[in-house]
Amino acid sequence: MRQSTFLAALLAPATLFLGVFFLGPLLIIAVFSLLTPGLYGGVEWSFYHQNYGRIFGWADGIMEIYEPVYLQILLRSLGFAALTVGLCLVICYPVAFWVARLPPRARLFCLFLVTLPFFSSLIVRLYAWLLILKPSGLLNQTLLATGLIQTPLEILYTQSAVVLGLVYVMVPFMFLPLYSAIDNLDRSMVEASMDLGANRVQTFTKVVLPQTLPGIIGGAVIVFIPSVGNFIVPDVLGGAKGLMVGNLVEQQFLSARNWPFGAALAMIVMGVVLATLLYASARARSAAHA
Amino acid sequence: MRSLLTLWSLAFFAFIYAPLAVIVAYSFNANPVNMMIWDGFTLDWYRGLFGAAVERPASDALYIENTDQLLAALRTSLTVAFFTTTIATVLGTSLAIALGRGRFVGQKALGGFLLLPMMMPDIVLGIGLLIFFLTLGMQLSLLTIIIGHCTFLISYVFVIVQARLAGLDPALEEASADLGASPFVTLRKVLIPQLAPGILGGALLAFVISMDDLVITYFIAGTDNTTLPVFIFGMIRRGVKPEINAIATLIILSSVVIAGLGLWLRARKTPA
Repeated sequence: MRQSTFLAALLAPATLFLGVFFLGPLLIIAVFSLLTPGLYGGVEWSFYHQNYGRIFGWADGIMEIYEPVYLQILLRSLGFAALTVGLCLVICYPVAFWVARLPPRARLFCLFLVTLPFFSSLIVRLYAWLLILKPSGLLNQTLLATGLIQTPLEILYTQSAVVLGLVYVMVPFMFLPLYSAIDNLDRSMVEASMDLGANRVQTFTKVVLPQTLPGIIGGAVIVFIPSVGNFIVPDVLGGAKGLMVGNLVEQQFLSARNWPFGAALAMIVMGVVLATLLYASARARSAAHA
Repeated sequence: MRSLLTLWSLAFFAFIYAPLAVIVAYSFNANPVNMMIWDGFTLDWYRGLFGAAVERPASDALYIENTDQLLAALRTSLTVAFFTTTIATVLGTSLAIALGRGRFVGQKALGGFLLLPMMMPDIVLGIGLLIFFLTLGMQLSLLTIIIGHCTFLISYVFVIVQARLAGLDPALEEASADLGASPFVTLRKVLIPQLAPGILGGALLAFVISMDDLVITYFIAGTDNTTLPVFIFGMIRRGVKPEINAIATLIILSSVVIAGLGLWLRARKTPA
């Protein structure tokens, strides 16, 4: 067998598979988002731009009605995802520092502890929060028993519950890139900064933060992307008040049966994701040149 | 300062593990009505899962479809994960080898493209696959679930095997070629044995993610096939019953075992 035939034999099956079953679905979403919704579900094969019009405001008001609620939910999803990134960052940064200074064996064990939830079921971990946050759940029982509150808190099915759930699910993804950046931190630079008279705050903002920035950006991207389109967390913990764009997409496909509109919403999610990735890779490239 | 940092970190690990501990603890709670109010220790929910008759309120009589459906869902999950893992491992590994050792036009672009399936939100891929299969007139079945899982798991295997390949010395393969071995023989006798830990690690990850996938499966499973996560999702939506704690505990337990196994494999491949 010649080298090039061999290479083709390695490449062809996988690229063909992904070309059909990965690119195919993405393309068909793009096509469907520009088709007319059929009267009883399904589509009619004619061009139609008002699926986007319903979201962004140029619907004709007769066949399709512009509702600001779609844009609101979209913005809320972006907001929730950004908040999740921020909270994960604040939670993980000190911990990553702490872990990086442990003796090697303890460090490995901590990394194992952070990765372990990734191996256990997402739905099971969310379900646990359902038990904790319920009106009669563990949190309210504890707070009532200690006398901190007199009436049960309403946390479940609120926006706070959604953000809490997102943070809980995403936190390991923030931790790992942060940890590897902090672990690679040049300690002598920190010492030099302190020796030269910089205080702790200055050393942090001028030396530590810039050096760990790639880890922060990496973690932010990995947390932001799955958060924006998430629909399991708001479905289990959010109720009507915590609806995110993922729930809208799901509804259009499984209950409202308006596929073109659902496809338009999915296209917007995909656009946000691609924009985030492009931004991150441009940042990484400029950082590599600097 | 130092102790504050320690306290914060311990709180962090408590935050990660407390919810799991709650499930495990309450899976032994005897209260059949409100499972969050402790009413003594029981193994009934576990016994119920394994087919024993369990006494429960009459209002729940209709609900006990559990055991059979649960086992069917578990079987579906295992079947899907088995085939997905096999296909994704073969395709992902061959991509990693082709990109790591070959020279061809568009190599860099392909490498970038292969990261995309991991970053694509699962809801987008899920509905995309749904429309795609239905437009092509394919019946939603085990096959569509397996195809769906492979679309993103190939990339995971690719990334892990590629990392392993990057650390290998190409001189061994060159020596093998110089000594007259064909590319296929070099692949089988020289490259694959060296890549084995990476391939195994990729396969393990693919298996775990396939077993746990909820969103994509939810859209393309159709009505006849339910995987374990989709089944549990459905149970939670219908209103939770005590058995679910026992199921969840068993899932947590098995994931600890699998993760431990994975780590042990990783520790073995780098004797440091």
